[in-house]
Amino acid sequence: MSSELTDYVTLVSSDGFSFVVQRSCACISGAIKRMLDPAYGFTESRTNTCRFENMSGAVLEKVCEYFYYKEKYQDAKDAPDMDFPLELALELLIAADYLDV
Amino acid sequence: MSGRRGGNRIRGPQSALTDFLAANNISAAQIRDEYERRLREAGQDENAGEGASNATPQQATATPSAVDTAEEVAEEEEEKTKKRKRSQKEAIDKIKKAKASKKPKKKGKGGGSDDDDDDYDDDFATDMYKKAKPMPGQFEHCEICSKRFTVTPYSKEGPEGGLLCTPCGKELAKEQKQEKKAASKPAGRRRRKLESDRLDGIASGGAKSLMQLCIEKVAKHHEDVEELGDIPPTVLEKLSEIFSKKRVMKSRTLRLFLRPDLQSVIVHDAAYLELEDYRQMFAIVPNMRRLVLANACQMKDEAVEYMIERCHKLQHLQLYAANLITNDMWAGLFQEMGQELEVVKLKWLDASFEDHSVREMVQCCPRLERVKLKLCRRIGEDAVAALAELPNLKHLSLQIGRPVPTDVLCSLVVQRGAALRTLSLEKFLDADDSILQAVHDNCNVLSKFRFCENDTATDAGYTALFTNWRNPALTFVDINSTRDVDNNNPEGPEEAIGIASPGFRALMAHSGSAIKHLDIASCRHIELSAFMDVFNGAQTYPMLEHINVSFCNRVDTSVVVGIFKSCPALKKLVAFGCFDVQDVVVPRDCVVIGIPRAADAIEQFGVGIGVDEAIGRMVEVGA
Repeated sequence: MSSELTDYVTLVSSDGFSFVVQRSCACISGAIKRMLDPAYGFTESRTNTCRFENMSGAVLEKVCEYFYYKEKYQDAKDAPDMDFPLELALELLIAADYLDV
Repeated sequence: MSGRRGGNRIRGPQSALTDFLAANNISAAQIRDEYERRLREAGQDENAGEGASNATPQQATATPSAVDTAEEVAEEEEEKTKKRKRSQKEAIDKIKKAKASKKPKKKGKGGGSDDDDDDYDDDFATDMYKKAKPMPGQFEHCEICSKRFTVTPYSKEGPEGGLLCTPCGKELAKEQKQEKKAASKPAGRRRRKLESDRLDGIASGGAKSLMQLCIEKVAKHHEDVEELGDIPPTVLEKLSEIFSKKRVMKSRTLRLFLRPDLQSVIVHDAAYLELEDYRQMFAIVPNMRRLVLANACQMKDEAVEYMIERCHKLQHLQLYAANLITNDMWAGLFQEMGQELEVVKLKWLDASFEDHSVREMVQCCPRLERVKLKLCRRIGEDAVAALAELPNLKHLSLQIGRPVPTDVLCSLVVQRGAALRTLSLEKFLDADDSILQAVHDNCNVLSKFRFCENDTATDAGYTALFTNWRNPALTFVDINSTRDVDNNNPEGPEEAIGIASPGFRALMAHSGSAIKHLDIASCRHIELSAFMDVFNGAQTYPMLEHINVSFCNRVDTSVVVGIFKSCPALKKLVAFGCFDVQDVVVPRDCVVIGIPRAADAIEQFGVGIGVDEAIGRMVEVGA
């Protein structure tokens, strides 16, 4: 497929929601960065799509929100904490551990 | 009080007719006239109290011509309604106070006192000029919901200046309170919290990690969490840490961290846990290999007995401040569990755990690889001698309060040195060059070496240690506070005690290629020239991440620049008490802590600029 890197990549949740996010944001996650790195030759790097069977749409949405939040405050001295609903906290925790963010 | 005053006008239930007339505003004009008259009376009363006979200009402008007639009436009525008027004035006073909550409370119960009369007049006049407000007891339409309600002295003022009914008033008060809360927090406290987080290593510039955010959220709502589910053990440990830090590790929350499939139980603050909790812990997680209990001050013999009974796979035992465990139980513990134990770390024991307990441990635990004994008050020389007989010892960390003869310590190093990966000797004040020599001669697989708080070993000893040492480069070196402190000789001894320039050069020449962590705090004898040579920008230390040069008073700005240049992987530089360091511009991904003259913060954090740019800016500032 496309050999050059696209600006946007697609993240798909277990329940079929897909989120198109900037590559630079998605690569904040060490796991996604490695998935998408052509050097490793994973399918994800050819399709520019990552499927996460262990994350629901709600969780993945928050994760994407976090990516943008993280990029926005990259060089900020005091970033305000991002808020998210309590019921997502544990699932997000597992997702964060998995994604290495 | 005000309720009674209000009672002057609202006398119980009104007749249906009165209600109806009022509801239809039939006597509106009369009501207004009366109101203005009353206001005026109140004003005059004020003036009388003040001793001024004439109306103030404010009052003159504030009372329109329509009041002229009312004034006459007022004069007529003045005498007979003196008492009533007084209470009315108080009511006005009250309502005004309720409305203008920003004004500090200074009025006594008996109405306006002399000192605030002027103030009162001013506000009073402007209030009246702005808009005539209904008196307590009268009806008004709520500014927000437009419902009719009875004005009371407590009625709140709305955003447009009108009055609000009770429910709307409450809402408004609540909102204001919240706003106040939100507005007051950020400035001071949030910044301090942020710096504290950075010093703790939680935050490192930019936003926090998602993991950190989640952990904080869960910890904050620890009471609502029913169970943590299948969280990976590493995350569970982090959660346990933060629960301990927030001191919420109690019976209820402990359950969250107990799962039969877990191999470790880690509680960094077990102070709240009682016998029943310990039982639960050992009952639910019998297969644990690793047990960490800090502040285990309520852990008694019974709990240990139960642990011996249940947990047969325990390999790693780490207990701090478990002072209720008796000597007999320590012996029993090692006898029963010794065969499996590989790691024993004990700290802060002062009621029991004697030299013979250590001997028991050495005899019963042949597989011990890692031993840490710190601040155990009852052990001394014999314990050190006993440890020398541990056949598989690879990691040793000791801090012993009682004096230990140098030759005993030396023989420990001689016997076990060849296998030691890490060696930490803290606060052995009398240990001299012979220890360093023993390390040099015997250790050849050491990666971590700590030898701190010592005022006997000389620089020659350190130089000899790091010169021609077979041991590969160390990754962790901590030789802080190796110096002689004598109030009669503040400049320090002639002959350097503790590491000095030659020793430091030798250290970095030996370990520079692999060193990650370097702590040379309070090493007073290292000269500027040695720092300049070591951190000269050309020589790099590719792994070095953490440096502590606090109270090395020769360090100046150029050394810091050299450190930035020579240590590409640098994450943290600690430099408390280095008074020659000024105007540091910190490069990206690096934290500098403790620069004394930092303008805005103890800790400085690099944002968005590389090393070269940072150094460029420093040069600009210096020029």
